[in-house]
Amino acid sequence: MMLCLSLVAAATPSLTKVAGIVLVCYLLVLISLGVAGWIQSKATEEDFYLAGRGQGFIVTVMTVMATFFSSAAILGIPGNVYKDGVAFVLFAMNLPVAGVCIYLLGSRIRRVGRKRSYVTQGDMIADYYGDTPAIRIVVALIGFLYVLPYVVMQIKAGGYLAQGMFPDSERVQFLGFEIGMFQAGATALSLVTMIYVLVGGMRSVAWTDVLQGFLLIGGMILAAVATVVALGGLGGFFAKVSELPPEAMSLPGPSGTWTPWKLMTVCLFASVGSLVQPGQWIRLYAARDDKTLKRSSLVFAVVLPSCFLFGIMLVALAGRALYPPEMTAAGMVPHPHVGEFDQIVIVMIKEQLPALLGTLGVVLVAIILVAVLAASMSTADSNLHALSAVVTRDIYDRFVRPQSSQRERSHVSRLVIVAATLLALGLVSFGHENESFSPLKMIADLMFAAIAFSCQLLPVTIDMLFVRKGTKAGALAGMISGMVAVFLFTPFPGLLLGNSGFIDGLSSTTGTLKSLFDIGFCGVVVNTLVFVLVSRFTRPLAPKRVEAFADDLRSKSTEETIPKES
Amino acid sequence: MTDLKRRRLRLVLTIAFALAIVMGPGPGIYFINPGSDETTPRLLLGMPIVYAWAAFWFGVQAIVVLLSYLFLWRDSKS
Repeated sequence: MMLCLSLVAAATPSLTKVAGIVLVCYLLVLISLGVAGWIQSKATEEDFYLAGRGQGFIVTVMTVMATFFSSAAILGIPGNVYKDGVAFVLFAMNLPVAGVCIYLLGSRIRRVGRKRSYVTQGDMIADYYGDTPAIRIVVALIGFLYVLPYVVMQIKAGGYLAQGMFPDSERVQFLGFEIGMFQAGATALSLVTMIYVLVGGMRSVAWTDVLQGFLLIGGMILAAVATVVALGGLGGFFAKVSELPPEAMSLPGPSGTWTPWKLMTVCLFASVGSLVQPGQWIRLYAARDDKTLKRSSLVFAVVLPSCFLFGIMLVALAGRALYPPEMTAAGMVPHPHVGEFDQIVIVMIKEQLPALLGTLGVVLVAIILVAVLAASMSTADSNLHALSAVVTRDIYDRFVRPQSSQRERSHVSRLVIVAATLLALGLVSFGHENESFSPLKMIADLMFAAIAFSCQLLPVTIDMLFVRKGTKAGALAGMISGMVAVFLFTPFPGLLLGNSGFIDGLSSTTGTLKSLFDIGFCGVVVNTLVFVLVSRFTRPLAPKRVEAFADDLRSKSTEETIPKES
Repeated sequence: MTDLKRRRLRLVLTIAFALAIVMGPGPGIYFINPGSDETTPRLLLGMPIVYAWAAFWFGVQAIVVLLSYLFLWRDSKS
C-alpha cells in the first residue's frame, strides 16, 4: 500500500488523483476479500486448494473467466489487432470452443476428481496411468512451463499499467530504493497478489476473481463504447476503420502472420490448451456440480467472445486507424505516440475519454486501467495458487517428504507462492533492463508459448476421458515428445546453444511450420503420433483399472455428500 | 426428446460447430477475403467484410452452444 501511495504522490494531478483513489480502493477491497476468505477457510489442504469443492455458478463462471482473461486479453490481444488489423479479430472465435470444453471435458474431470479426491492434474493423470512417478513429474513440469510465463506476463502488464497511469513520474522511492515506474507497478501487482493468495487460498482467489471478472468485463465494454462514441457513433467508427490500408482489412494481415490455417489451429488449440492448464483444471474440480459447469459453459461461450468482438477489439481497430504503425527497415513498428504494440488500449482510452467526457472521462479511464490490473491479477493469482498445488502435491509430498503433515505441506505451498512470485518478478525486471532478452518481448508471444506447453496434456486427457486405449509408456513418451517439439519453437534453443548451423536449420524449419500452424498444434501432432504408436506396442493398462475409472467418470450421485457454499 | 432425435440433433450441431470453425477463422475465409491488390475496401453494412464474417460465424457458434445447453447437455443429477 505504501508503494501505491508513493505512486499516487508522484504522478500528474488530475488522472493521478482519481486513478490513485480508485486503485487504493480496489486494492483495499482485494485485501479484505483475502482476509474474508481466510476467516471462512478450514485448515485442510482440500479447502486451501479447492475451497471445499462447493463453488456455485457465479463464482465458478467468474473465476474461470477471470483466469482465462489475462493481461493478454486487454493488452496483448488488442496489441495484435493493432499490429495485424481485422485479421486477428477472428481469434475471438477460439472462445466458444473453450466454452464447449468447459462442459464436455469439465463435467467428466469434476466427477472423477470428486469421487477420487484429486486436487491436481497430476493426481488424475498419474493415477489413471498407474501412479508412475515419471508421469507425475512430466505433468508437473508441463504445468510449470505454462504457469511461469503466464505469471511473468501478468507482472509485466502491471509495469506497463503503472507507466500508463503515471506517465510523468519516471522514478519513485520505495523502501529507501529509487525505482522506475515500470518496476514499481510490477512490484505492486506481485506483492498484493501474493499476499491475498497466501492468506486465503482458493476461496480468496475465487472471490477476488468475481470482483475482477466483473471489473474487466465492464472495462472492456466501457472502453469500446467510449471509443465508438468518441468517433461519432457506429457509422463514424466504421467509416474510420474502413480507411485502414487493404492489408489491414484482410488476411494474413500486414505482418503476413495470420493465414487461415494458422488462425484455425490457434482457435482450436489455444482455447483447449488454456482450459487444460493447472489453474483451470483445479477450478473444474472445485465446481459444485455438473449444472454449475453447464451454465458456466454457456455464459463463457457467449459472453466472453462478445466482450472481444464487440468490445476491446474495436478499441484496437480504432487505434490502428488513428495511430497507424509504421514500416521501417527493421519491420513494422508502433506509431511513436503509442510506444509499444501492447499499449494501444491504454493510449486510446487516455486520449479519447477525457477529451470526450472531461472529469467523468478521467474517472472512466481510471476504472478501465484498474480493470486491466484486475485482468492481470486474476490470472496471476490463479496461476500462483495452481503452481503451489502442483509443486506441493506432485513433487514435495510424493518425492521429497512423503511423510509430511498437512501443516508442513501448507507451509511449503506458501513458500512456493513466494518463490514463484519473486522468480517471475526477477525475470520481468531482467527483461525490462535488457532489451535484447527476446523471450520477454511481447505479451502475446509469451501467451502462445505457454499455451502450447499446456496443450501437451490434451492427448492424455482425451484418452482418459473418452478413448481409454493408451498405455503408460505411450502417455509418457507422447507428453515428452510434445514438450520437446514445442521447446524447439521457442527462442530458448538459440539462447542455450548459440548460433550454429544446426540452430539455423532448426530456426528455418520451425519458422516455416510456425508460419503455417499454431505451435501447440504442431506439438500435439507429434505428441499424438508418438502416443498412439508407443501405446500400440506396449503393455496395456489393467482392464479392471480402466473399468473402475470409467465407472467413476459416469458416477451420477456424489453431489449430495458435498456441503454447499459460495 | 427421444434418443434418436437427440442423436440427430447432436450430429447436426456438431457439424454446424465444426463448419463455423472451418468457415470463420479457417480456410472458408477465402470466399470473402479481399485480395492484396484490391484498393477499395470490401464492406458489408459499412463494416469491413472480414469483421462481419467473424461476427456471423460467432453467431452460429453461440446458437449451437445455446441449443446444446437446452436440449443435449444433462446434469449429473438428472
